[in-house]
Amino acid sequence: MPLQVQDSGLTGPLGSLGSLGRPALLAALAFALIGLTLCALGAARDRRDLAAAGIRAVVATAAFVAFATFCLLTAFFAHDFSLDYVASYSSRSLTGPYTLTALWGGVEGSLLLWTFLLTVFAAIALTRAPARRSALVAWAGAVLCGISIFFLVLLAVPANPFAALASVPADGQGLNPLLQSPGMLIHPPLLYTGFVGFSIPFAFCIAALITRRLDDSWLRATRRWTLFAWSALSVGIVLGGAWAYTELGWGGYWAWDPVENASFMPWLTATAFLHSVVIQEKRRMLKVWNVSLILLTYVLAVFGTFLTRSGILSSIHTFAEGDTGKWFLPYLAVMLLGGLVLIGSRLDSLRSENRFDSLLSRESAFLANNVLFVAAGFAVLWGTVYPIVNEAFSGVRLSVGPPFFNRVFAPIGLALVALAGIGPLISWRRMSKGTFARVARPPALAGVAAVIVLAAGGVRSIGALLALGISVFTAAAIVGEFARGSRVHRRREGSTWPESLRRTLTRNRRRYGGYIVHLGIVLMVIGFSGNAFKVERSAELAPNESMTVGAYSLTYVDHSSASTPEKEINEAVIAVSRGGERIATLRPQRNFHIAQRQTQSEVAIRTTPAEDLYLVVTSFDADATIVLRSFVNPLTWWIWAGAAVMLAGMAVLLWAPAPQAVPGPAPVRVRRTEVATR
Amino acid sequence: MTTKQVPLATRPPRLKFAIGGAVVAVAILGLISWAMGRPGSTSFYMTIAELQAEGPSGVAGAYRVNGNVVPGSLEQQGIETSFAISDGAARLDITTRQPLPDAFSTAYENDPAAVEVVAEGRYDGQKLTATKVLAKCPSKFKTQA
Repeated sequence: MPLQVQDSGLTGPLGSLGSLGRPALLAALAFALIGLTLCALGAARDRRDLAAAGIRAVVATAAFVAFATFCLLTAFFAHDFSLDYVASYSSRSLTGPYTLTALWGGVEGSLLLWTFLLTVFAAIALTRAPARRSALVAWAGAVLCGISIFFLVLLAVPANPFAALASVPADGQGLNPLLQSPGMLIHPPLLYTGFVGFSIPFAFCIAALITRRLDDSWLRATRRWTLFAWSALSVGIVLGGAWAYTELGWGGYWAWDPVENASFMPWLTATAFLHSVVIQEKRRMLKVWNVSLILLTYVLAVFGTFLTRSGILSSIHTFAEGDTGKWFLPYLAVMLLGGLVLIGSRLDSLRSENRFDSLLSRESAFLANNVLFVAAGFAVLWGTVYPIVNEAFSGVRLSVGPPFFNRVFAPIGLALVALAGIGPLISWRRMSKGTFARVARPPALAGVAAVIVLAAGGVRSIGALLALGISVFTAAAIVGEFARGSRVHRRREGSTWPESLRRTLTRNRRRYGGYIVHLGIVLMVIGFSGNAFKVERSAELAPNESMTVGAYSLTYVDHSSASTPEKEINEAVIAVSRGGERIATLRPQRNFHIAQRQTQSEVAIRTTPAEDLYLVVTSFDADATIVLRSFVNPLTWWIWAGAAVMLAGMAVLLWAPAPQAVPGPAPVRVRRTEVATR
Repeated sequence: MTTKQVPLATRPPRLKFAIGGAVVAVAILGLISWAMGRPGSTSFYMTIAELQAEGPSGVAGAYRVNGNVVPGSLEQQGIETSFAISDGAARLDITTRQPLPDAFSTAYENDPAAVEVVAEGRYDGQKLTATKVLAKCPSKFKTQA
C-alpha cells in the first residue's frame, strides 16, 4: 500500500507509515522466536555466546515492536483512515494529545502498547541484569521471549492493528469522549506498565525455578522492577479512580466493577509479594510463598486483560469485541499449571532456612499481612468470578454488587492498616509482651483519643470511628518511628532535627520509604471513611430556583450554550452559598459530542480538605430546566493527598540502592539503632 | 536487649501458628459467606416473564432485568424517570430516581427502538423501582456507563 500522504490530509511532517507496521511486527515475531531458541539453547547447554546472541535478538524484537508502534502513531497523526483501527478510533477533529490516547482506544492498539512495553522492558532488564552472563538471565530471556511470542501472535492473527479497510472513509468515527480526558492520557499506560512490569520478576522467578538457583539472587535482580511495576500499577489505579470521580459523574471513585477488580487483584498479591520478599531477604524463609505470589500476580495481571477483552463478564467498561479473549484462556492455563508444576518439582530447593521463633515477632506481622492481602485478593476474585461459576453450575444468573466488596474489604483493610502500625513496633524474631505493650502504648493512646474526640464531636458511625481510630494509631506509630530514628542520629551526631530526619531517611531508604507509603495509605483510608457521611440530593431546577444539599444552598442563576466543531456545550451556572454567604460559583456542563452523537456530563467540584461539593447536570432541557444531582463527599481530598504521599514514598523506595547479598547462614540484621532503642 | 541473649528456637511454636492460621482462614471464609448473604450483595438476573411470575422481590436480593426500551415510553417528571422495557413478548414498567446513563440518552435519541438496558432494583408486583440503570450501547464504543 502506498503511503497515504496526499489523500489523507497529512498533518505531520512524516506521513503515515501504516503500511510498514505489519511487516515490522512479523519481523519482531521472527526475532522473538530466534531469541527463545538461542536463550534456551544457551542456558541448557551452558553456551554463553548463544545466550548473549539470544539477548541481542530480544533487543531486536523490542526495536521492531517500537517501530511498529511508531508506525501506528504516524497513521493516527496523518489521519490514515485506510487503516480500520485508525478509522475506528480517531477523527480529523481529534486534537493533539488525544490522538495519542486513540492508540489505546481499542483492543488492537492496547495489545500493541502492551507488547511494546513488554519487549522494551525485557530488553532493558536482560541487558542491564547483574550477572548478565548467567544461566538465570538466559532462562529469563527464554521466558520473556515466550511471553512476547504469545502477544506477537495475537497481534498477527486475531488483533491486527494494521488491518486495512476496503474503502477509505473521508473521516474516522472519532474517539469516545470519555477517553478524551487528561486522565486517560496516563491511566491506561500506567496500568499496562504495571501489568507488564510484573513479567520481569515472573520471568526471573521461572528462571530461578528452572536453574534451582533459589537463593535471593532472582529477588535482588528484579527488586527494582517489582517496585517499579507495583508503583506504576498503584498510581494507575489511583488515577483511574480520580478519572472516574471527575469524569463519570456518578459521584464515586471506585465501583467494584470487574475491570477495576481486574487491576486490583494483581495489586493485592503484588503488595503481599513486596512484603514477603523482605522476609526471604532477611530470614531466608517463605520461599515457596514468594515464588507462588509472583506467579499468582502475573497470572492475575493477564487474567485481568482476559476479563476485559473477552466480554465474559458484563462490566461498564467491557470492550466486548473481537475474539481475542478466548486466546488468553489457554495461555493462562499454561502459565498457571506450568508454574505450579515447576514449583512442585522444586519444593526441595525451596525449603526455608529458618523457622518462626515467636508469634509476637516482626516475621509474624509480615506473615499476617501476607495472609490478609492474599485473602483480600481471594475475596475480590470470588466476588468477580462468582457470577460465572454460579451460572455454570446452577444456571442461575446473578451479579455481585459493591455492598459485598465493601463488607468484606472494610474489616480486612482495617486489619491491614492496623498491622502497618504494629509491624514497625515489633522486633525481629521475638519480643516480650511487656516490651510490646510499652512501645505500643503511645500510638494506641493517640488512636483512642482520636475516637473519643470524634465521638464527642458527634460522629456516630461505628465503622468510621474504627477506621479513623486505627488510622490515627498507625500514623502515630509511623511518625514515632521517624522520631525515634531521628533521635538516634541527633544523639549520636549532634545534628539538627531536620538534618537527623534526612539522615534517618537516606540511611535506610527502603525501610523509611516503606513507612512513607504506609502513611499515604493511612491518609487514603481516612478519605475512604468519609463515604460513611456522604450526602446525595437530586432536584429539577428552572432558572433562579434553589435546592439544598448538606449545609449548602445551590441556586441555578444562569445558563449558557456554545458550540465548537467537536461539541455543543450547555453550561449551568450554580451559585453556592453556605450560612447565607456566597462561597463559590460552579459550572457543571452537559455537552453533546457531535461526531459520536453522544451526550456527556462534565462535573463541577469544589474541593476542600473537609469535603467536596460535587455537581452533575444529568438533563438539560430546551427551556433550560436542568436536573441537578449534587453530592457532599466528606474527606475525599485526603485520598488524593494520601496518594501524593504514597508517590513520594515510592520515589524514596525506587531511589534506594539494590539490596546486597548477605553472607552467613541466618542473616538477622538487627541494626544498632533498633537494639539501642528497644 | 540484644538478640544474642534470646534463646534460639527452643521449641518452635508450630502449633500456635497452625491454630492462628486456622482461625484467620475460618474468619475470612466466614466473612466472605456472611457478606454474600447480606441484602444488596447479590442480585438475580431474570427475564421479564420470570420476574412477573416470581412476584414482589423479597428482602434478600434485588432483581436485574434486561430488555429493549419501548419507543415513546420515556417520560421525565422532575427527577423521576419512567420508561418501559420489553423482550418482544412481555412488557415491564420501570421508574427510577437515578439519572439515566449518558449512553442511554444518546442511544434513545439516535434510535429509541435499539436501546437495550439492564435495570436493577425492587419489584412490587407491577413495576420495577430501579436503583441502577445500565445501557448496553449499540455502538462500538463500549466504555461508557
